Amino acid sequence: MAENDFVVGIAEIKTATDPGRLAAYGLGSCVAVTLYDRVKKIGGLAHIMLPSSRMHSQVSVPGKYADTAMIALFAGMKKEGADFTSVEAKLVGGANMFVSIAQQAVPIGMRNASAIREILREKGIRIKGEEVGGSQGRTMFFSLSDGKVEIRKLNQPNLVI
Amino acid sequence: MANDSKPFTEFQLDALREIGNIGAGNAATALSQMVGKRVDMSVTKVLVLPADAIAGFLGGIEKNVAAVHMPVYGEMLGIALIFFPLERLPELSAMLIGRKEEDPNNLSELGQSAIKELGSILTGSYLSALFRFINLQLIHGVPSLAIDMAQAILDTVLVELEQREEVAIVIETQFLEDDKQLTGSFFLLPEADSLKKFFAAFSKSLGLPSDG
Repeated sequence: MAENDFVVGIAEIKTATDPGRLAAYGLGSCVAVTLYDRVKKIGGLAHIMLPSSRMHSQVSVPGKYADTAMIALFAGMKKEGADFTSVEAKLVGGANMFVSIAQQAVPIGMRNASAIREILREKGIRIKGEEVGGSQGRTMFFSLSDGKVEIRKLNQPNLVI
Repeated sequence: MANDSKPFTEFQLDALREIGNIGAGNAATALSQMVGKRVDMSVTKVLVLPADAIAGFLGGIEKNVAAVHMPVYGEMLGIALIFFPLERLPELSAMLIGRKEEDPNNLSELGQSAIKELGSILTGSYLSALFRFINLQLIHGVPSLAIDMAQAILDTVLVELEQREEVAIVIETQFLEDDKQLTGSFFLLPEADSLKKFFAAFSKSLGLPSDG
């Protein structure tokens, strides 16, 4: 952990400007989505648990659901002064770690990723990179100086997207 | 949630420890039969942990662990997890299948199914001991195994329960076979409504007011 690292926990959303990194540890079926304004070096990260808030009567934590989290993330980026014409997105996580949960038609991790992709498409934001699915957990660090995302997995070399 | 997640009193923890001891006794019998030699089991710790303290209990967010996962059904819904320290999987496999598997990240099919079976035995024993005490019928589904970062396993289970705040009832068990000591930690994570039901049934069995 470097001095300017901020950890974004489950269902949390954080926006910040260069320098520093935003980190999400131990993503299982959660998906972390990063937004980055490459020109102004403004970044945001949402650590999303579930695809939709529509089945839930009370939404006390907007960061839990893709639909409400993305609205909050867009608002946060706007507040930092991001220009959405130069914002790009990356997706990390959405693993399916236990076979017994996989008996659902589409695993929750993949449904999380699909929901986020759809919202990004509607907003006209390009997806620059993805490291989604599989059966392994991930830890990620998102650099606010260049938008690169470093990913760690158990017994695998680190990846950068 | 605040009311549900308040720590257990010593009295309640003692009762949980007693339930744990009964479960461990039954599990030891089942395990001894499975491996064909005597294995003793005892409860070393009983506690109730909030979700954000679970990874710390297991050794840290990026600590690599083996976790057996089982859905829990019946009169309470939730997830049961059994965690084993990764570095002790070689000894655990030697105890279970009589062959030491040196690389815990690369277990054979047989090694994996033996660990799942152990998870299943422990979970079944603890659930039936709980059932007898609180009179709620609990059964578990098919076990699956993941070897990964503690936090990633927890993240997956919280998503499954659709909860960010969660409380786990933890029973840490020690196995003794000859001179070898191994541990496994049983975690029961009830869904929010089931947690309320559990607290009420547990309090009633202890002769306490059911809201306490």
